[in-house]
Amino acid sequence: AKPKITWRMQTYAGPALAEHVVKPAIEMFNRIAGEEMQIELYFADQLVPTGELFRALQKGIIDAVQSDDDSMASPTEVTTFGGYFPFGSRYSLDVPVLFNQYGLGQIWEEEYAKVGVKHLSAGAWDPCHFATKKPITSLNDLKGLRVFTFPTAGRFLAKFGVVPVSIPWEDVEMAMQTGELDGIAWSGITEDYTVGWANVTDYFLTNNISGAWIGSFFANMDRYNELPAHLKDLLQLTMDSSHYYRQWWYWGGEANLRVNGTKMKLTSIPDEEWATVEAEAHKFWETIAKESPTKAKVVEIFKKYNADMAKAGRPYRYG
Amino acid sequence: MPGFICAYVTYVDAFNRRIGRLAMYGIFLMVGVLMWSSISKTFFMPSLWTLESAQFLMVAYYVLGGAYAIQLNANVRMDLFYGNWSPVKRAWFDAFTVFFLIFYLAVLLYGGFESLMYSFDYGQRSRTAWRPYLWPIKAVMCFGFVMMILQAISQLFKDIALIRGVAIK
Amino acid sequence: MSYGVIAAAMFSLMMLLMATGQRVFAAIGAVAAIAAIALWGTGGVEIPFTAAMKLMNWYPMLTLPMFIFMGYVLSESKIADDLYKMFHVWMGPMPGGLAIGTIGLMVLVSAMNGLSVAGMAIGATIALPELLKRKYDKKMVTGVIQAGSSLGILVPPSVVLVLYAMIARQPVGQLWLAGIVPGLLMATLFIVYIAVRCRMNPKLGPVLAKEERAVPMPEKLRLLGAGMLPLAIFAVMMVPFVNGWTSLVESSAIGAMASLLAAILKRRLTRKVFENSMRSTLGISCMFMWIILAALGFGAVFDGLGAVKAIEHLFTEQLGLSPWTILILMQLSFLIMGTFLDDTAMLVIVAPLYVPLVHALGFDLIWYGVLYTVTSQIAYMTPPFGYNLFLMRAMAPPEISLRDIYGSIGPFVAIMLVSLILIMVFPQLAMWLPETVYGN
Ligand code: NA
Ligand code: NA
Repeated sequence: AKPKITWRMQTYAGPALAEHVVKPAIEMFNRIAGEEMQIELYFADQLVPTGELFRALQKGIIDAVQSDDDSMASPTEVTTFGGYFPFGSRYSLDVPVLFNQYGLGQIWEEEYAKVGVKHLSAGAWDPCHFATKKPITSLNDLKGLRVFTFPTAGRFLAKFGVVPVSIPWEDVEMAMQTGELDGIAWSGITEDYTVGWANVTDYFLTNNISGAWIGSFFANMDRYNELPAHLKDLLQLTMDSSHYYRQWWYWGGEANLRVNGTKMKLTSIPDEEWATVEAEAHKFWETIAKESPTKAKVVEIFKKYNADMAKAGRPYRYG
Repeated sequence: MPGFICAYVTYVDAFNRRIGRLAMYGIFLMVGVLMWSSISKTFFMPSLWTLESAQFLMVAYYVLGGAYAIQLNANVRMDLFYGNWSPVKRAWFDAFTVFFLIFYLAVLLYGGFESLMYSFDYGQRSRTAWRPYLWPIKAVMCFGFVMMILQAISQLFKDIALIRGVAIK
Repeated sequence: MSYGVIAAAMFSLMMLLMATGQRVFAAIGAVAAIAAIALWGTGGVEIPFTAAMKLMNWYPMLTLPMFIFMGYVLSESKIADDLYKMFHVWMGPMPGGLAIGTIGLMVLVSAMNGLSVAGMAIGATIALPELLKRKYDKKMVTGVIQAGSSLGILVPPSVVLVLYAMIARQPVGQLWLAGIVPGLLMATLFIVYIAVRCRMNPKLGPVLAKEERAVPMPEKLRLLGAGMLPLAIFAVMMVPFVNGWTSLVESSAIGAMASLLAAILKRRLTRKVFENSMRSTLGISCMFMWIILAALGFGAVFDGLGAVKAIEHLFTEQLGLSPWTILILMQLSFLIMGTFLDDTAMLVIVAPLYVPLVHALGFDLIWYGVLYTVTSQIAYMTPPFGYNLFLMRAMAPPEISLRDIYGSIGPFVAIMLVSLILIMVFPQLAMWLPETVYGN
């Protein structure tokens, strides 16, 4: 028999990545919910292009989305902070702490409610490193580099001469080969290997501009409100299990591939030089904070959190 | 045919022809942008805006050229049967099936209009580093869809005239 | 409604609408819009438009007008005349030589444009009248031109392979290189076929008259120079691209400019040539873009309604077949659909269903791209639906009837099928060149 409720969910990920970052959880949801509800999972750009993704969700063309705020360009005050907010977090566990204990969760919930979208749950993904054709060993190597990256990260990296390029996620590998791109600043090394970018790049920069990507699940507000309470709970459990899977998958994967990976050579920019990037990021935070009171509030939380972590000392922060 | 129908056909055809002829030269704009892209990349800094503006130009090219392409009969048809029919029989079939074309274009226009309104409401910009506003290209698309609908109606009038064996002056 | 029923209903309604002779894009788009409104639920009506935004993001489609423009400048400006004369003079003395030369001409033309349209135009307007004047068998030469022009989508640059690359997410450069050897193989097989038949029956392709053969050697050598032009245009476009100096779309713009420049330098760029090239480029580009737009909408609706899953399920689970059987069945279904459907639309609608399946079965997607393109060539050739039929009818001299056009393709389709099987059995035919150049 047909399930009573069906949702269409589109993820930002292509098939290879979705195999880890969302599919196991959704399949589990479907097995448990059975005839009561099924979520049909679609990959990046499969039903609607990413540029129309937020609107499609808001209008109920699709029912749920897995994405970061930044790349789907949500028309909210918090969009800048989704994806990679430069130097906002160092470890993947920072993200759930920020959302659950430092109040980001509530701000997100309120901001999305204003535009008719239910913010379901935020989780951490991998850190943001460079994968390139040419080795990067100093900031100078970044000049003129055409890099696929997130909008906000691109805006920040432009300060160092990077030329940010936005194309559909699924076209990145091809664009590396057709010469549209020189590199990718989008993910950690696990993702580089999983989605095939390691095959078209040769070098991996160990410095990152953010320790964890902030991504979320969203739903159309009406469609979410129509769910019975126990399915809402099941949905919550599903997303938590998806976040948990990524915690160990990325954390272990990053270390493993740095040590055992054969497709990419590791390079580094010396710490002292990289410190200028971090200093520049803090200036960038101030610029963002001036844009609106809500943004100022979020920046304040990031500052408070990072200060607390520094005070807590090892293992939270070293040096 | 009634005078206002003749006037409609004359004006719509003439207007769309002009728009289409303008769009036709868009190919040189595309070439120019892409050439600049390779030049700037080779000799200076890569440009942020080239690829995306070329994409906008491409959309304008085929959407604004759409009505003129209908006039030029450039749209391929499966002519297994159609190819053997007399002009009058073709006109009969077209006079009915053109409503599918109009329907499709109307659905495109509806979606385009909704998307355009969204762009206005939220000041939507592209997600790229260049961050252009998206309403202009969506407005161009909506305009193109409207002109194609008007052209499809003009084709219908011409078919009716053919069936009735009268000329449109 | 079950997924299978939805899939069947959408396809049959589309076929029915196409059979009425309504524009192909309107038939596809209207079915997508109807299904979206009737079956999708909230917001379905907006899916056809979101496809337009998706198409805008497909930046490699920028190559489409560029390659079409290149082709039209070449055919309209008659730069190809010299090429034709070159083959004429050099090949004329042997039986069937002019037909063989025409295949050679078609290969060179294929290297200078991305579709089959320009080859068809050059073949039908330059080669065909000359061949008929010299009493070549009209059925054979009609087939030669249709088959020869179909190489345009296999020999790089190729718009069909760009489109496939977009859908299968494969590198265009490698796909293009993969098409070269199979394209030359097919051309060789055409030539062998012509040579053998004309040897058996010299009346099919008579040797040129003595006076026509008496061309002095210096003149013959001068004409050989004409063959350099297409190679030069090809090189100007491909070398920077393969070396990574320019991107794909930039190279296509360079190609368009190079052909325009060639026409200017040869003093062939008249007002009329310019006007015809510009207008035809707009017309054909619009035709393709609108078909792709409609097909993208159709594909998204089809997918969102679960019909894709039904087809995948059918192939992989219900039938329980081996990978090769599935692959062969997919090619057969492509061939059958291709006889009725526009091959661009077919690619955009069907490839998203088949490509993941082909990948999951463990086949190489570059190799499959070549298989797909050869299948498209066959689809393009076979009635009742094919651009060649559409174009041949418009351009061929009056003594070529529709019966001749339909009747001429048999042996060539057979050769294409042989090539298809050869490429399936010996994947290295396609894979050797890209693996060598890109060093795996
Ligand atoms: Na070609
Ligand atoms: Na066909």
